Amino acid sequence: MVAQEDIQTLLLEVPDPELPISIVDLGLIQAIRIESSETQCHVHVSLLPTFVGCPALDMIARDVHDKIAQLPEVADCQVEWLFDPPWSVDRISEAGRAQLEKHGVSVPGCQGGDGAVPLMTSAIPCPYCGSPQTRLDSPYGPTRCRSIYFCEACRNQFEHMKKVD
Amino acid sequence: MQDMLTNPTASLILAHADDKLMLGHVQSDWTGLGPILEEDIASSAMAQDDLSHALTLYEYLGNTYGLDPDVIAFERDPADYMCCDLTTQSDEFDWANSVVKRWLMAAFTQIAIERLSRHDDADLVARCGRILPEQNLQVTHLERWIKRLAQAGPESQARMQAALDRIAPLAGMVLEIPGRLVNDDDGYYCGREEIFKQWTDQLQITLQDAGLAATFTLPDRNVEGGRRGKHADHFHEQLTEMTEVRRIEPGAAW
Repeated sequence: MVAQEDIQTLLLEVPDPELPISIVDLGLIQAIRIESSETQCHVHVSLLPTFVGCPALDMIARDVHDKIAQLPEVADCQVEWLFDPPWSVDRISEAGRAQLEKHGVSVPGCQGGDGAVPLMTSAIPCPYCGSPQTRLDSPYGPTRCRSIYFCEACRNQFEHMKKVD
Repeated sequence: MQDMLTNPTASLILAHADDKLMLGHVQSDWTGLGPILEEDIASSAMAQDDLSHALTLYEYLGNTYGLDPDVIAFERDPADYMCCDLTTQSDEFDWANSVVKRWLMAAFTQIAIERLSRHDDADLVARCGRILPEQNLQVTHLERWIKRLAQAGPESQARMQAALDRIAPLAGMVLEIPGRLVNDDDGYYCGREEIFKQWTDQLQITLQDAGLAATFTLPDRNVEGGRRGKHADHFHEQLTEMTEVRRIEPGAAW
C-alpha cells in the first residue's frame, strides 16, 4: 500500500513550472490524505498557492494528479488549493533555498521562532557576489512570487522571493 | 442569481469584485505600454492580481449561490454590475490618470477587504486574508509612483495635479451604497463615515509628502451611480469588449 512518505517522495519529482525547485521544497504541500481499502487507495492532496493569481496553479495541480495517479495502487487522486493557512516564504525548505540561491534567486531569512521583533533589518545580500549593497528595482518580478533587486557591487540584477504578510 | 443580487452582503462582495474585474481588465490594456520595463511588468502583474482577486470573490459567491463564477462575472445584466464611478472612469491612456485612479482605488479596497476579513464566514475570511497582503503591496507600490511623479520636476508635478483635479471629485463614489443595500439597515456601511475618514486621512498623508493637494467629499446616501447600476458610457464599452469572446463562443476555453 502507498504510504504518505511515498507520495511525498514522488512529489519531489514535480517541479514548479517557473522556479528551479520542486513543489515540495517550495512548501506548497499542506496535507496528503490516503484512504486505503484492501486493494486500492484514494489520495487527496491539499496545496497552498504562493499568490492568488499565480497562473501556474492549474498546471501544478495537473502535474500532481498525473504523478500520483500513475501508481498502480492508486484508484483516484484529488488535488485542491487552500487559502488557509497562507503560503509564506518561510515554508521553503533549506534544500530549496540553496537551489534557488544557486540560480540567482535569493530568499528572505526565517524570522526565528521566539517571535521577537528584530531590532535591525539587514540589506538583502546579492546571491552572486554576497554584497549587501543592493536595492529594490521593482517589487513585481517575472512571476507573482518574485521581486527584482539590483546589486551595486557586481552590477547584476537578481530576483528575490517576495515576503508578503 | 436573483437571490445573490438581492442579498446585502453579496451586494457588497460583488461591488468589490466588480471593481477589481474592471480595473484588471482596463489595466491589462497597458501591457506593453508601461513607462519603463519594470513598470510594464509590475502594472501587468497588478492587473493579473486584480483579476484573480475578483475571481476569488466570485468563486465565494458562486459556492454560496450555486452559480458558475464566470456566469457571475460575464453574464449579468449591465445594470447589475456594482463597480463604482471611479473604477469605470477612463484613464485616456494617460499614465498620471492611471496611477492616480489605481492608487485611490487600491487604498480604498485595502480598507474594504480588511473589513470583510472580519466577517463571520471562515471561507470568506480566508479568501480576504489571502488577498490582503497582495493589496497592501499594490498600495505601497502606487504610493511610491505618486511621490515619484509628483517630485520629478514641474511638468510632471503639474500633470499629476491635473490628474488629481480631474479624478478626485469622483473618488468619494467608492462609498456609494451598492445595489440592494440601499434600503437595508446596512450593517457594513453604517461605518461609511468612518471608512471615508480612515481612507482620506491615509491619502492626505501621501499627498502632503508628494506636494499635491486634493479635496474629497463623501456623497450623500441617495446619490446614484455605478454601484447602483447607473454606469457611464465607458463602462458599457468595456463590458462589451470584455464579454465579446464569450458572446461569440459561449463556454470558450484555452
